Amino acid sequence: MSNLLDVLLIEDDTIEIMKLNRTISSLNLNHNIIEANNGEEALSILKEGNSLPDIILLDLNMPKINGIEFLKILKSDPSLKYLPTIVLTTSNNRKDLLECYKIGIAGYVLKPLKYDDYVSKIEKLLAYWSVNELIKA
Amino acid sequence: MSQEQIDILQRALQREKAARKASEKILEEKSLQLYNTAQELKDVNQQLEHLLDEKTSQLQGIFENINDAYLVMDLNGNVIKMNDAAIDLFGYDIEKEKINVVALIYNEDYGYAMRSFNELRTKGAFTNYTARVNTRNKGVRWVHINASVVFDKQKKPIAAQGIVRDMTDEKAAEQQLIDSENRLSALILNLESGVLLEDEYRNIVITNTRFCDFFNIPATPEQLIGQNCEHAAEQSKHLFLDPEGFVTRINTLTQNKKQTLSDELALVDGRILERDFIPIYEEGHYKGHLWTYRDVTLHRRFRENIEAEREKYSNIIANMKLGLIEVNNDDEILMVNQSLEEMSGYREAELLGKKGGEILLAKEFKEKMAGENQKRIQGKSNSYEVQARTKNGELRYWLISGAPNYNLNGKVVGSIGIHLDITELKQLELQKENLLQKLEKSNNELQEYAHIVSHDLKSPLRSIEALTSWIKEDNKGKLDEASLKNFSLIEMTLEKMEQLISDILKYSSIGATTDESEEVNLNTLIDDLKQVLYVPENISIDVVNNLPIIKGDKIKFQQVFQNLISNAIKFNDKEKGHIIIDYKDKKSYHQFSVSDNGIGIDKKYYDTIFKIFNSLKQSKDSSGIGLSIVKKIIDLYKGNIWVTSKVNEGTTFFFTIKK
Repeated sequence: MSNLLDVLLIEDDTIEIMKLNRTISSLNLNHNIIEANNGEEALSILKEGNSLPDIILLDLNMPKINGIEFLKILKSDPSLKYLPTIVLTTSNNRKDLLECYKIGIAGYVLKPLKYDDYVSKIEKLLAYWSVNELIKA
Repeated sequence: MSQEQIDILQRALQREKAARKASEKILEEKSLQLYNTAQELKDVNQQLEHLLDEKTSQLQGIFENINDAYLVMDLNGNVIKMNDAAIDLFGYDIEKEKINVVALIYNEDYGYAMRSFNELRTKGAFTNYTARVNTRNKGVRWVHINASVVFDKQKKPIAAQGIVRDMTDEKAAEQQLIDSENRLSALILNLESGVLLEDEYRNIVITNTRFCDFFNIPATPEQLIGQNCEHAAEQSKHLFLDPEGFVTRINTLTQNKKQTLSDELALVDGRILERDFIPIYEEGHYKGHLWTYRDVTLHRRFRENIEAEREKYSNIIANMKLGLIEVNNDDEILMVNQSLEEMSGYREAELLGKKGGEILLAKEFKEKMAGENQKRIQGKSNSYEVQARTKNGELRYWLISGAPNYNLNGKVVGSIGIHLDITELKQLELQKENLLQKLEKSNNELQEYAHIVSHDLKSPLRSIEALTSWIKEDNKGKLDEASLKNFSLIEMTLEKMEQLISDILKYSSIGATTDESEEVNLNTLIDDLKQVLYVPENISIDVVNNLPIIKGDKIKFQQVFQNLISNAIKFNDKEKGHIIIDYKDKKSYHQFSVSDNGIGIDKKYYDTIFKIFNSLKQSKDSSGIGLSIVKKIIDLYKGNIWVTSKVNEGTTFFFTIKK
């Protein structure tokens, strides 16, 4: 029996948000998607919200606080640092990849060009996390 | 017979009788006379004999008692008498055995002996015969013999007598004297110095070859012996730079008769002679004098040369634009040159005796200086950089080249340092470093920028892709054939666009990434590539020569081979495709080739293919950047890339990598 996940998607691109939502509905999954348009917004959601998400999907290239800066803030927070964070990005910059793992991530997924490929990747990603035992707040 | 005849005969007989009577009378008188005379003669003879006996015995006594050997021989050389000295000398005793003098003659002197013997026979004597004889016990001896013939009463030679003096020791002493005289003469003859010994009348006693050479005298030293030197100076004066001075000086010396050493004489031909004058006194009496001349030209020139060299180096040291410091083993300054004064701002007087490192160097370099000085003591030379502080406090960079300084005994007594102010150079270096840092930073920024641009360009592509696929999905069954085809064209274009962006990013990344350098085994690299690349079944890839292990960035080598191999795959139209990878070791570089039997490239494109965005064939998965990437990497490894090809037959790409 797989868990239903609360997924915090931190993404500034509308179409990317649409892609995730459409993917989840087309796959008939009932995971709960929480949207944040940038790092600041995500932080306020995390700090004000009553419950924490199960996983975070994080884009790297964002205005204001970018993905890596957000990750640093997250990982230096005593309670938030346990949140599994999966980077979902276009950047295959080796430097970014190394930096993210250094700070601490649970995964690094490249956004493919083709939507079909995207669906396939997201499906696997969510399937994996939904079978994981997670720290429920 | 007639009476007449008888008468005549009678008368004759008478005469005859009378004559005989007269004769008898005369005979009688004469006999008496003769008797008387004989009687007288007998007396005289007796007297004479007595006298002779006396003399003989006298002589006998003398001969027998003289120290010299005395012997008497008969005319055949048989010894008939010898005294004790003779017995002692020759070792033979005639009372015991016979001995002939011929046996005593030394072989080599035989001729001389025979001549002398002849002389003895014809003239009755010989004197001063000096030759060797064989003795029984004393070996060969030198003897001196005076000999004379002994006559009997009828003046007939009957024997010879000789006095033999053993002069072997004398002879040896004489020989020794001759030898030592010869040695002395040879020595004098061959002396490096010219020697002239004059007696009190200024006649030459001895001189030598060297002397004759010095004064260009066209005679041998022997010929000069006995010549008077009163006017010799006049004859030789033209050889000297100061002829009159030469003559005057000689006159003064010979008049004063005082020992005078090391007079210097300059010759017209440039030589320099040194002269000693040594008067010789024997028991207070002046007996002559000795001149010795030595050629000191070389010596003098050597001294002058050294002086000149010294002058030269002093000038160099004084005028060179390099600072020079000499210090002792305690780093105390012994000498500085003018340039160093200018470099440091100190006067020499302010530096002498001070510790070089203390007064001249910036604080943090003082310790270093001590270490460097230690190297000098160990006899090592080297160069090093320091920061110096000038008198007015300014910090300057100096390059010091230090070497140990040795004394005459080869002991290190300190060091000499040459100092070059490299402040400007150093600043340029620092500037360069700064520039390099800036360049690296801006390169990194550029790299970053390329990533951002590529991300920003790719994002819309992804969005368009998503949107078109949604439209297709949402309108399933509603779209006609043409629209679906157009949608797939949009998708292809998007893919191409994405590939292009990726390749541009790759291209711009070459050279910007840090220089990773590792040993790369190209054989393994190709094997790995074959796994990664999509190789259709009709195409074979063969490596015909073992590939080398080279140093460099593995990713870059991979990019090169990947691009070349995928091109070879991509542009192959044959039923059976062959790709051959070859290698040649070319001493200073590696040469690789990738050949195919594909479509080939027209000669006119040989150059343009390596330029960016110059894909010859439009293809779904070719952005036209591949070969540009390859060329950029080859350039990075200081190599070349070129192509040979025949349209429809195949292409070979060659490239080199510097070792």
